[in-house]
Amino acid sequence: MKIKQHKVDDVLVLSLSGKVIGGPELMDVKEVFQKAVDQDNKRVLLDLGKVSWMDSSGLGVIVSGHTTLSRAGGALKILNATKKIHELFIITKLITIFETYTDEQEALNSFGD
Amino acid sequence: MHPIEIRLPSEASVLEPLQLMIEALGKSAEVEEDDLSSLSISIIELTKNAMEHGNGFDPEKTVTISISIFPNRIRFLIDDEGTWEPEKALGFNPGEGDELLSTRGRGILIARNLAKWVEFGLTPEGNTRVTLIWPLN
Repeated sequence: MKIKQHKVDDVLVLSLSGKVIGGPELMDVKEVFQKAVDQDNKRVLLDLGKVSWMDSSGLGVIVSGHTTLSRAGGALKILNATKKIHELFIITKLITIFETYTDEQEALNSFGD
Repeated sequence: MHPIEIRLPSEASVLEPLQLMIEALGKSAEVEEDDLSSLSISIIELTKNAMEHGNGFDPEKTVTISISIFPNRIRFLIDDEGTWEPEKALGFNPGEGDELLSTRGRGILIARNLAKWVEFGLTPEGNTRVTLIWPLN
C-alpha cells in the first residue's frame, strides 16, 4: 500500500493505492491523519480510486481518521470509492457517516469556505 | 477428493498471500471475476477473527483452512485453537448507534453479507470452526 498527499487550497488530498489489508502498515495511515490535524490540515479528502482491495481493517482506519478529524473540528470525505469498497460502506452502514464523491472538484467544493 | 489444507501462523503478514491464494483458487473454480474479491474479503475477515479471538495473534498458534471444491460449491472450514463464540467475543453490533463509529468489529458482518453461507460451530476437538460455503454456477 502506498500513500500520497497533495494540497488543493485548504484541502489535503490523501491518495491510497494498492491493497489496504490488515497489518502494521495501516498504522502509517492513522499517523497521516494525526499529522494532518497536527499541521492544521483539518479538511481531508481520501481518494480510494487506486485501492485494489480493502477489508474491515481499512474501514477501521478510515473511521479512526474521521474521529480524529471530527474532534479537531475538521472533516473527512471520500473520493472514488470502487464498487466493492462502496459495497463495504453500505454493508457496514458507514455510508451514513461519510460523504462519498466520484468527482474531485465536486468533492473539493463540498468542503465550503 | 481430499480437501486442500492451508495452515497459517496467527500473524498479519500471511494475510496478503492468503488473499492471493483464495482468489487464484476461486478463479480456477470459475468463481465469477466480480465475485473473487468478495470471496477473498470474506475468507480474510474470518481468518483474522480466528487469529485474533481464537489464537490471540500468537504466531505459535495455527489457523487451519480446509478447502473442498465440489461441482456446485466450494466449502471452506476455518479452524482456530480457541473456543470463542462470535457474539460474546464482539459484545456489540458494529452497525448500530454509537458502535457505528467503532474502529473494529465489522469482519463477521462483512463476511455474512458478502458470502452466501457462513456458520459458526466447533471442530470435533471442541475448537471454534467457521464454515463458509460459496456456491458455484
